[in-house]
Amino acid sequence: MHIEREQVGSDVVLKVAGRLDTPNAKPFEASLMEVVSTTDGGLLVNLAGVDYVSSSGLRALLVAGKAMRSAKRKLTLSSLQPQIREVFDISGFSTLFEIS
Amino acid sequence: MAIIAQILAGLGLLFVGLKMMSTHLQQATGRRVRHLLRTATRSPLAGLACGALAGAATQSSNAVAVISGNLVRGGVLGTRDAIPIVAGGNVGTAALVFVAAIDFRLLVLYLVALVGFGFQFKLDRRPALKEWMAVALGLALVLLGLDYIKQGPRGLDVTALAALLDHGIAPWVGFLLGLAAAAVSQSSSTPTILVVGLMQANVLGLDDAIVIVMGANLGSGLSAVLSAGELEGTGRQLCYVHVLVKAVGCLLVGAAFPVAAWLGADPVAALGQLGGGQPSAALSLLFLALQVAGAVPVSLARRTTESIAAALSPPTVEDGASKPRFIHERALGDWATALDLAEQETMRLVKLLPTLLPDLDQQDQGGPAERLALWRGANAIGVAIDQFLADLIARGIPRASLPQALHLQALTETVRTLQDTLHAFTEVVEGFDEVPPLAFNLSESLRTIILSLADATDGDAEDLDLIITLTADRSDLLSRIRRHLAASALGTGEDARQLLLATSLFERGVWLVRRTAVALRAPANEVKPMATAAPGEARKREEADAHRT
Repeated sequence: MHIEREQVGSDVVLKVAGRLDTPNAKPFEASLMEVVSTTDGGLLVNLAGVDYVSSSGLRALLVAGKAMRSAKRKLTLSSLQPQIREVFDISGFSTLFEIS
Repeated sequence: MAIIAQILAGLGLLFVGLKMMSTHLQQATGRRVRHLLRTATRSPLAGLACGALAGAATQSSNAVAVISGNLVRGGVLGTRDAIPIVAGGNVGTAALVFVAAIDFRLLVLYLVALVGFGFQFKLDRRPALKEWMAVALGLALVLLGLDYIKQGPRGLDVTALAALLDHGIAPWVGFLLGLAAAAVSQSSSTPTILVVGLMQANVLGLDDAIVIVMGANLGSGLSAVLSAGELEGTGRQLCYVHVLVKAVGCLLVGAAFPVAAWLGADPVAALGQLGGGQPSAALSLLFLALQVAGAVPVSLARRTTESIAAALSPPTVEDGASKPRFIHERALGDWATALDLAEQETMRLVKLLPTLLPDLDQQDQGGPAERLALWRGANAIGVAIDQFLADLIARGIPRASLPQALHLQALTETVRTLQDTLHAFTEVVEGFDEVPPLAFNLSESLRTIILSLADATDGDAEDLDLIITLTADRSDLLSRIRRHLAASALGTGEDARQLLLATSLFERGVWLVRRTAVALRAPANEVKPMATAAPGEARKREEADAHRT
């Protein structure tokens, strides 16, 4: 898994590539939570390079999503591949997150 | 030929009658027997007495062992508490052997008449009498069968038979005959009753009958282990307790005969005298002595018995998973604590839900066998909570707390249905040789939702609101998936059918998670009723808006 961080105004963009599986879920969650705790703008997670997501990856997003919601900040997901979009639709995550 | 036919018919009636009696006695007295066994933990003697009563009531030591096994797995009894009960169950079964020793021909005829008239006047249709009518019919068949067995050999040329058995049956042959008869009938009392019949017809002498009954006694213990099949852990431990009772009984009573002879007494004659000169009564006493001689030492040395049984059949994952951690019989005395404990146990059950699903991302984490054991364990806890709450409500709780108890009962029911749905879903997913992408997505999605629900039990109301949002209606999406699958079903066959099933089970699982979350959220919802009053789509939009980040 590879994560690139980019600052766009007050918002942060995280470009993720690879597999969001159990071994990668912890470092992924740590990257998300670092943005939550060190910035105060929105967070956009670009998942264009993600071709696999498991329950661990989904839970990492859920933890970050809850933290952002508590801080009344916006977390957006973008560029989901069709098979990844299907997981988000089936799991109900599409109703929790804004997807662009 | 007529004699053989009469004996075989007698045996047939005996088998059917015993089966009927045992089944319907368990249904008629099962709840009371269960309650009786629960109160048997005070001392080994109390356990023995309760077990004996239960054995007499069900006429099956196996039934007592099975009920005790379920109570142990449900955490109501410890294995050590169950040992005297299982031992006592054997003593209770002696009741029927004593009945067989009585000349009951007239009684049988009246009983058959009574049962026949009862059925003619439709007494069997009354709920209170239904099971007891079947018990009476079973008893009538048993006694009628016994009468056939007793009458049959009377037609034999006893003088010729006596000449044939001039030197009696060799002890080891008699022992093996008894052993085989008990293994076939899975009971020690049935061959003993048969021997009583043959003695009353003067076909067998007391000395021959003694070895046959001792063989039957040991044989029924061994048959309990054989019939236990794939049963493991605690359930099998109690089967070994059963064998120990029988083996110790045979050993002690068997040793008494040579010891008595060595002391210059005639043990067979002494036994005959104890039976008041009636060989069948003497044999019934021997049968009782075998049960008591096995049951008492095994019960008194229950710590040793438990160690032996545990060494022969160590506890399984299922045993560990089926033990409630919070609820226990004594808590029923204090309704407030009992309700609190039942709630904690239900929350624990919710936390255990993720263990019922496979982690497809880490396939080395627990196999199907372990998940099956965990499901059975969780199921047993669900049944125990249900029973606990039913007992609590039956004992009477303040009117103000009744809604809480009923709410908890409904929640437990939902969680139990969810357990079964997750188990069925897991079976479908694990049935694929290679998990298709859709099944993977369904499984990982359901796992995420279930893990979130488990986490929410320690969280706040917002976490539950999030679950409610996450489990919003997705029937359009799933219908679309199903239509797509149906269109491709002709090409892919069985896999497509299984995927359709997985989709339905997924949808049901999500709906049940939602129901669980709503039930867990209920007290807070009562405080702000307007939130729950928002109808359909508007409510969904509110939920989605509330959680969109």
